[in-house]
Amino acid sequence: MSAHASHFESREHQRESAELGIWVFLATELMFFGPLFLAYTLLRLSAPDAFAAASRETHIIIGTVNTAVLLTSSMFAAIASRSAHLGQRRAAIVCLWITAFLGATFLGLKAIEYLDEWQEHLVPWLGFQFDPLHAEGAAQFFILYFAMTGLHALHLTIGVGIMVCFAWQLRAHSPASMRGRIEIGALYWHFVDAIWVFLYPLIYLVGRYG
Amino acid sequence: MRKVASIPALAATWCALLVLLGLTTASAWLNLGPGNLLLNLSIAAAKVALIVVVFMRLTRARIAVRLTAAAALFFLFILAFLSFSDFLTRPSHPAPWRTPGSI
Repeated sequence: MSAHASHFESREHQRESAELGIWVFLATELMFFGPLFLAYTLLRLSAPDAFAAASRETHIIIGTVNTAVLLTSSMFAAIASRSAHLGQRRAAIVCLWITAFLGATFLGLKAIEYLDEWQEHLVPWLGFQFDPLHAEGAAQFFILYFAMTGLHALHLTIGVGIMVCFAWQLRAHSPASMRGRIEIGALYWHFVDAIWVFLYPLIYLVGRYG
Repeated sequence: MRKVASIPALAATWCALLVLLGLTTASAWLNLGPGNLLLNLSIAAAKVALIVVVFMRLTRARIAVRLTAAAALFFLFILAFLSFSDFLTRPSHPAPWRTPGSI
């Protein structure tokens, strides 16, 4: 059975093109997140003490648990990709659902964290209150915090949707025909995980010893 | 057909990632001065390297894919280099900003 688009020579050719395509997309995503990290660096250089004070107000337990959840989800995404490659339909479906569930867990914990921060008056422009000594720098920290984690959460939401969609499709399609899609879905998931790996120390771990 | 990663290799990588997470979190309570940031970023880079090599299998990918990843890093470097060569060489650091309360 030849289950590939007409402009590809083979299913393998289509899969390889998709793999290159997702890497090009991830390269553009890096250009998307990169300037936010750049802005963080510049603003932190201009107000190091305020960034440390603001970082101490973040919820390190939720942040750390969420990091572990995301790292675990990445392992399941890798196993799902492996299972699809080996033609193990059931294992691939289970791992895709676990990945999506862990992603949703992350988003749920993040929502609780946002709610806490709103109640603690840490959301800029919405009743933001902070020690006047560091108010300006702390506001800059929290604007970046919400921009970066919000953008990350948006990516993760899309990722959860992709995982659920693929898990559902895999019930009716062969792992061989879904393999390319699951592989690029997993690559996207790993990228979103890698972005969080850099966000975690820059948000939660600044000035904890102070 | 390309060789796939084994389950033990994926599980070992996951364990290593969690150990690195524990190390980076614990180190935050030690006053290492600028060393804290350096250690945190080094550990983050090690974690991303594990994810990219074992989970994303970049080192086993075709040359076109590896070149794409390298080009992404290269252009990120250009972006950072040109931006910092502007902002960091200005006489004053503070960015033009008004506190949210004053708007």
